[in-house]
This record gives sequence, C-alpha cells and structure tokens, in this order.
Amino acid sequence: MSVQAERRPGWHGTRRRFALRMEPYFYASPALIFIVAVMLVPLAIGLSYAFRDITLLNPFSGGFVGVQHFVDLWHDSDFWQALGNTVTWTVASVSLQFFLGLVLALRLYRPFPGRGLVQALVFVPWAVPMFLSGLNFAWLFNPVIGPLPHWLYAVGILSSPENILSDPAIAIWGPIVANVWWGVPFFAITLLAALQSIPPEIYEAAEIDGAGTWRRFADITVPFLAPTIAITVLLRAVWIANAPDLIVAMTGGGPADSTQIVASYIFTQAFKGLDFGYASAVATVLLMLLLVYALIVLMIRQSLLKAS
Amino acid sequence: MATIDIDGVRKRFGNVDVLHGVDLTIADGEFVVLVGPSGCGKSTLLRLIAGLEDISRGAIRIDGERVNDLAPRARDIAMVFQSYALYPHMSVERNMDYSLRLRKTPAERAREAVEGAAGKLGIDRLLQRKPRTLSGGQRQRVAMGRAIVRTPKAFLFDEPLSNLDARLREQMRGEIKKMHQDLGATSIYVTHDQIEAMTLADRIVAMNEGLVQQIGPPRELYEHPTNLFVAGFIGSPAMNFIDATYRREGQNAFLVVGEKRLALDERDVADGTPVTLGLRAEDIAIDADPEDPGAIEATVELVEPLGLGTIVHVQALGTHIKALSLAVVEHRVGSRIWIRPHPEKFHVFEEATGRRLERKAQFAAELPA
Ligand SMILES: Nc1ncnc2c1ncn2[C@@H]1O[C@H](COP(=O)(O)OP(=O)(O)OP(=O)(O)O)[C@@H](O)[C@H]1O
Ligand SMILES: [Mg+2]
Repeated sequence: MSVQAERRPGWHGTRRRFALRMEPYFYASPALIFIVAVMLVPLAIGLSYAFRDITLLNPFSGGFVGVQHFVDLWHDSDFWQALGNTVTWTVASVSLQFFLGLVLALRLYRPFPGRGLVQALVFVPWAVPMFLSGLNFAWLFNPVIGPLPHWLYAVGILSSPENILSDPAIAIWGPIVANVWWGVPFFAITLLAALQSIPPEIYEAAEIDGAGTWRRFADITVPFLAPTIAITVLLRAVWIANAPDLIVAMTGGGPADSTQIVASYIFTQAFKGLDFGYASAVATVLLMLLLVYALIVLMIRQSLLKAS
Repeated sequence: MATIDIDGVRKRFGNVDVLHGVDLTIADGEFVVLVGPSGCGKSTLLRLIAGLEDISRGAIRIDGERVNDLAPRARDIAMVFQSYALYPHMSVERNMDYSLRLRKTPAERAREAVEGAAGKLGIDRLLQRKPRTLSGGQRQRVAMGRAIVRTPKAFLFDEPLSNLDARLREQMRGEIKKMHQDLGATSIYVTHDQIEAMTLADRIVAMNEGLVQQIGPPRELYEHPTNLFVAGFIGSPAMNFIDATYRREGQNAFLVVGEKRLALDERDVADGTPVTLGLRAEDIAIDADPEDPGAIEATVELVEPLGLGTIVHVQALGTHIKALSLAVVEHRVGSRIWIRPHPEKFHVFEEATGRRLERKAQFAAELPA
C-alpha cells in the first residue's frame, strides 16, 4: 500500500495521507474484527435489552420500550438503596482489604523464621471459591453453629449473641467481613511484589541521610507503591462493586433488601423477578458509573506516574 | 570531621566469618583507601562503619564515641554507593537536600548548601531534573553532591567510580582528590583500581579474606610489601614471582634459580630456605650487557606497547617474566635478549609463610619511620 502510494505521482495531499494513515488498520483488522465479535457484539446486545420489554413469563414481551426502564429506575427506591449499599460495600471492603493487605505485606517483607510458610498460608483464602467462603461465613455468623456471635458478644461489640445477618442495620457487615477475609491476599501479594522491587540501597541511603522508619515509609515506600496502589485499588473496586456472590450466598439481599447492592439487585431482578429488560437497564447504569469511576482513577494514576 | 577507630571488629553472617578482627585507626581528615580482592570484606567493613550491618564483635568509635549500637542516622556519616542509590522519584535538588530537610535546616541555608555543592560539581543546571534523565557521570556527581551538602563527620565511598568509563574515572578521581583537599574530611574509599588507590590514599589498607594484610602510605605498600599477597596485589603490571633458594656461603648471599645464581644482600633466614623472589616489571632492565654477571638470557614472547613505554613478556629462569621499559622496544617475538633485574630492588619472601625477608645489614634503616 504505502509503497504504491509513494510512487504514484497523482497521489498526494489528503488522499495519500489518508491511505498512509489507514495502512496500519488494515494489518490490524483481523484482530480488530475478532475483538468486536467476541467483546462488543454481546455487550451491544446486552445493552439493547435495556430498551426492550423482556419478561420471561410473558410470551408477548420483547417490544421496544425506549427509556421507560430508566424512568422507572429513577423512581425505584430499592435501586437507590442498593446504590447506597454498593458504595458502603465497596468502600468498606476495598479499604479494609487494602489496609490489612498493606500491613501484611510490610510484615512479610522483613525476613523472619518461617516466612515461606506464612506467605503460602496468606494465599489460601484467595484459592477458596468466593461462593463457598460466603456459605462458610454465613455459618460462622449463625449463633447456633458458629462461634462469631458469641465472641462478638463476649468482647462487647454485640449486646446479645445474635446473627448479625438478620439485623437490617448491620447485616451488610457480614458479607463485608467475608469479603475482606477473601480479598486481603490479593493486596498482600501484589503489594509485597511491589515492595520487593524497591532497591534496598535506596532505603540504606535514606537511613544514612537521616530518615527514621516513618520518613522512609512516607518518602520512599509510598511513592514507590503509589502506581501499584492506584491500579490495584481501581481493579479491586470495580471487581467488588460487580460481585454479588457473597451477598447472594449470605443474605440473598435481605433482610428486607437491606443488604442489596446494585449487582445483587440485577441478579434478583433477572433471575427471581425474571425481568431481563429492567435488569439490563440497571446493569447499564452500573456500567456507566464504573466507567466514570475508572476514568477518574486512571487520570489520578497518570498524574502520579508523571510525578514520579 | 572526625577520627574513626576500628577495634578488633569481627563480622559473621550466619555461620560464615567475613571479617576476622580488623584493627584500624583513621586520623581526622585522613583519606584511607581499602583494597583487596573481590569478596574480602571491604564493603562489609564500610557498611559496619555506616551502621547498615551489626558488628558481631569488637567496637567502632567515631570521635571517641562508641557507635556499635547507634543507628546510621545518628552517626552523621555520608556514603556514596556504587549504584549511586539516588531517589528516583525526587529531583536532583530534592535528592541533595533530603538530608538537610530531615534535619530541619532552614530553607535558605539548605539552598545555599545545595547550590554551593552543585556549583563545585558542575551540576547546577541539572537541579530540577529526575535522576533517570541523567547520564552515568552526572548521576555519580549527584551522589557525591548528596554526600557533601551536609558536611558529615566522615565520607564512605564504595567503588564510586567503577561504573564510569576510563576517561571520566580519571577526571572524577582528580575532582575527588581536589574536593578532599578543600574539605579535608575523613574519608574511607573502597576501590579495585590500582591508580585510584595510589593517587588518592594517604594510607592504603590491603585486605585479604577478612584480614588486614598491610596498612601504610601507598609508596610503602609498593616498595615494601609485607607479604606475598600485598606484593602481588599492589602494582600494575603485577609483580613477577620466581621460585628460588636462598643460599649463603661465608659472607656472600645469593639466590639460586635453576642454574643461575643471583647475588643479593644477606637475609635473616637459614641457608637453603626456599623463597620467592619478587621483581617489579620496571625494575628489570632489558637489553643488558651479556657480560654483566647479573644479566639473564631471555626469549621474547610478547611485546605490548603502552604508548608511555613497553611491556616486554619474556621466558627466562624457567618462567614467564614481564619487564617494563620506558623506551620504544622493537624486539621481534622469539628473539633472544638479555635482561637484568636491579639487585637493589629484589623483594624476597619466605616461601612457606609468604612473609617478607628484609635485608639484614640495613634492616633498621630500611624500615620507614
Ligand atoms: N548479607 C550477607 N549475607 C551473607 N553473606 C554476605 C552478606 N554480605 C556479604 N556477604 C559475604 O561476605 C563476604 C564479603 O563481602 P563484601 O561485599 O564485603 O566483599 P567486597 O570485598 O566488598 O567484594 P567486592 O570487591 O566484590 O565488592 C562475601 O563472601 C559475601 O558473600
Ligand atoms: Mg564490595
């Protein structure tokens, strides 16, 4: 293409430039077509449901309803509650996972006897299927068979040894605790890897320059970890906001929808209410919110990278 | 500025002994160079002084104060690392004033110190750049600058120039020497480079396998190496070693090498002792008079012109010998020549122990004061 374009004397100006500009896309086109077919087509079809009336039990459904689902959504107080719960669920889970993961990574960074074994053990929760860990924690929180309510009562957090999953005011913390247990290894391991990539002489130079433990952490560890922190927090937040498994396994969104997050609300609408159209509309809104969130975090990360 | 007193210091990592009792006293303002083969414990000693490793046994005192249990930051010492260890996320200026900011130096004073050091090192135009955008030589200067801004009690250098090319190394060597003359700061400098050691040092410390072999001014180590190790380690090209037997007949002492007898002054050792004769390349004259009783027949094996002079490799006395001549040498490989080692410059070592055998008659006079 380009060779010919350069030789033809008539080819100049915009047309020639256009041909040159397009050349790489021709080479990339097989891959692009594949990506469109595998990723974008299902996405587009899924999005299109949001504008149609698709109710499984109604054989006459399937018609185009425009933005009706979105109008309904605007007035759906359950949705707004689920959105609020999603923020609580995501912020609490990610920040606790991150904080505990960081503490664990810093602890595992210093050599101590048995470090290899501890590192392997830390990884275990990550290997447990999420759904299974949800069931496990549901039992742990059950005062009949699990010890947790009795312990919480003993240390004075609960006024009586009851199942927190059945108290609408605090039920959301049950799945959050399970999620933190399950997700800490991810942060611990990625942050540990990032810590280990910091050259030790840099710490030694800082130590000689007069930096104590806290200043070394603030002036060296944090700037070195910042890009990793930004990207892992972004990924985990999107993942957690999107993951209904623990909620569905532990509370099913209840009691009285008090633990419903948007993702589990979509699941409930689609597979319990069998209203696929409305569920798709909710999913579309969640997608948009997460895209905006991802853009913001990516911008923050970019400026962090530029600064370092 | 400070004295550093290293007193019977030992270091073991796990069950490996790395330093077996090092004693060294460094005077205020002195420039001491540590040399020795790879793995002999030079960096370890430096890190013990800096406080980056714990001392297993013995004591280190800075200005008379025992620092064994002091954290690095309480020792007020600056170190220049081989890898420079600059803070990659900070500008050159932040790198240099980091220690000052930690010490809450007033901003005005810190800026003056950084600008002064940057001017001295010729990096004043780089202050706002990040280390990753600098060349190796510029990074090296920043590392030096970071050390000098806070006028520490002592400087530690761990092979600071080894990542630079030969030309730049020569230039930085000069600058370090000038800087030391200006600042007069106590310095300990580790290097593999013979010339750096000879030119920079007030005293050289030659180490081997965790033990100090000899401490003294560069010329003393060069001219009076105390044992075979120091003799072989100091000097480039390396000293020639020739197996010989020490003989004494009446008043005459001589060395027997194969068929050859080489006259020398009497040594304090028994007749018939196996010894090693050490000859520096520049102490061997080439194109000697064949009639001279000290002349030795040799076959040219290799001629290396240095520009400054020529290294002639010959086969003689049953071994390979290097001779350095300042003249231009045109000998062909394979040709026969006569070489003559300077008998005043014979270094004789007892073969069994490797210790130097001093000349008996002038024994007292020979020892440097
Ligand atoms: N942290 C450590 N753990 C175990 N052994 C170590 C440690 N640091 C150094 N050593 C050992 O101590 C010995 C001396 O090391 P050191 O780094 O002091 O050598 P060096 O004289 O500086 O060598 P080079 O010229 O190659 O830099 C080596 O045998 C090394 O393997
Ligand atoms: Mg070293």
